[in-house]
Amino acid sequence: MRGPQSETGFNDWTECISVRFDLSFIAPEIGFLLQGAQLTIEVCFLALIGSLIMGSLVAIARTSAARPLRVIAYAYVDLFRNIPFIVQLFFFYYGLPVIGIYLDAFPTGVVALSIAGGAFASDVIRSGILAIDPGIIEAAEVSGLSKRVIFTRIVLPIALRTSIRPLGSVFINLILTSSILSTITLNELTGSARIVVSDTFRPFEVYVVLLLVYAALTYLISILIGVLHYRLNRNLGARVT
Amino acid sequence: MRYTSFTPFDLVLLAQGFGVTVALFVVTTLIGLLVGAALAVVRYYRVPVATQAILFLTELLKNSPVLVQLFLVFFGLPAFFHINVTPVVAATITLSANTAAFIYVIAVAGIESIDRDQVEAARVFGLTRRQVLRRVIAPQALAFAIGPLTALLVNQLQVTSLISVIGVVDLTKIGNILNLRTLQPFIVWTVIGLVYYVAAKLVAWLGSRLETRLRAYSAWKGL
Amino acid sequence: MIKAENVRKVFGTTTVLESVDLAINPGEVVSILGASGSGKSTLIRCINGLEKLDGGRITVDDFDVSKPKELAEARKRSGTVFQLFNLYPHMTAVGNVALAPVEVLKRPRAEAEREARELLASVGLTDRADAYPAQLSGGQRQRVGICRALAMHPRYLLLDEVTSALDPEMTAEILNILARLAEGGTTMLFVTHEIEFARQISDRIVFLDKGRLVVDLPTAEFFAPSGGLASPRVVQFLSKMRKE
Repeated sequence: MRGPQSETGFNDWTECISVRFDLSFIAPEIGFLLQGAQLTIEVCFLALIGSLIMGSLVAIARTSAARPLRVIAYAYVDLFRNIPFIVQLFFFYYGLPVIGIYLDAFPTGVVALSIAGGAFASDVIRSGILAIDPGIIEAAEVSGLSKRVIFTRIVLPIALRTSIRPLGSVFINLILTSSILSTITLNELTGSARIVVSDTFRPFEVYVVLLLVYAALTYLISILIGVLHYRLNRNLGARVT
Repeated sequence: MRYTSFTPFDLVLLAQGFGVTVALFVVTTLIGLLVGAALAVVRYYRVPVATQAILFLTELLKNSPVLVQLFLVFFGLPAFFHINVTPVVAATITLSANTAAFIYVIAVAGIESIDRDQVEAARVFGLTRRQVLRRVIAPQALAFAIGPLTALLVNQLQVTSLISVIGVVDLTKIGNILNLRTLQPFIVWTVIGLVYYVAAKLVAWLGSRLETRLRAYSAWKGL
Repeated sequence: MIKAENVRKVFGTTTVLESVDLAINPGEVVSILGASGSGKSTLIRCINGLEKLDGGRITVDDFDVSKPKELAEARKRSGTVFQLFNLYPHMTAVGNVALAPVEVLKRPRAEAEREARELLASVGLTDRADAYPAQLSGGQRQRVGICRALAMHPRYLLLDEVTSALDPEMTAEILNILARLAEGGTTMLFVTHEIEFARQISDRIVFLDKGRLVVDLPTAEFFAPSGGLASPRVVQFLSKMRKE
């Protein structure tokens, strides 16, 4: 293990800047970092599902005919979009044990991300719902389909398909926000990187690499989202004149 | 640490923390606006190498976590360049750069939203590129950009909460302090959350008022 | 039997339907004619519950459509075909046709899909059964729409200007299918602009003028000088339609 860079005794200016951006020190740590990355993906995947469920429920509430439901849903979205995520996270992490709910960092993180992500997702899904041709809903109603079936078999499938791209943005947002979970001692990617830094004393290199990894990850996901959008919507699209 | 209940002095603490948050928010927003707009102008003039470099950097800043950017500046720069960086300085640098990246995108979108025809007409009338930028594009781009700009600023206000992690004593850090001392997380974090919420609403309200004024102004101008 | 008594419907400040009385008996084929804005489509939309009445009463087999529970029963007995098809875009033709039988009539999926394919075959869509609406022509989509309505085995078929969005060739296809259905004894209530078609297959013709039911006569009498043609509004309307 290398010690820290010495702060005195440089021979010339090139030694002031360790332009030897030598990344070989990372090699033994990669396994550990990959574990962190895996944790990030797990958290974000679960949080995505949570966000979609919350977002769908809230979007349905916001487009419902009952006013109290609309108000509550709007309040939820407004609140969780205007309060910093780290504050929300601390609220759950420190608050839940007080009322007797003892959750590990992982489930707490998933819950907090799902609630925050759900607020953003609900806006997207709501737009998707409002964009549905009303005639389709009418056809479903006169066939005798119940409200529940109309929502689960018609409204949500269509709204989710057309909203894939903006939902992809929500997912990418989740991934970036998940780095904040490192503050509640969850060793996801950022948390693992911090540990690697404390072991190798090379914060600059490690964090630059971390930035690039996150950026690459989000880029990859946006490409996948594009593909998913194409595949889910190719039967809906082209008009036959 | 002694566990005590809340005292009136805690309100002073809250105010101090809020003051730090606001100060950093305002300073980084201003710097971000200047830098971001300047970068957009560089793109407008199509400077060869700089444009691509700017594009790469802004994409990197936009698509990576702000927390990691903060760590890079606060922990990484001192180790790599052997300079001393205080938490506040690190926070200022990071948030300014991050804001600038988003401002750049909005500014570019605003500039490109102006009809080519207007720009062509202005050029035909003999206006230089600089004059076109100042007189034709900028006012309209601004009116166009206020909406997304307000949304961005509301978001950046919340991003400031992350500077507590590198030790800046902002509103969130005060929350941590109070939480640790009073062991009343629900009260502490609810209050902190509400302060952020009200501040965010204020920014949004100011933004929409500015938008109406700018739109009225530019609409009249388009005579 | 579908019974409409003293029906009144208001949109904002406009009275779209006023004092409309209509009875449809099982096995009848009835066409509703009238100018645009005369309230024809609104009447059908009141019968299948898409619009709420502002006055009067509509019952389908004695189920009152203004009561939610009874409306559900009424909807099981009537099927609607729409002018703009309104197919579910994310489901294939088979899926569209089989959805309601599975969810409302609780039929097993395999059985419902089998019957869906039979229905689609009977309108000539055997090889398009697994296509999505976006891949179908207008005429094909309407055929799916008809099958979707028929899949519920409704007592009454409500058809709201079902050929108005189709070109002449496709219109002819659809009219053929509908004529077959009419001959087979299906109770049908048409709103249509196709005067000749209405004349050929209807038992009765109803004429709406500015929200009021002005004429209600068996077909032959409707087109007789002493019957429907005695009403100047009818004559005016028919001559206008013939010009187009």
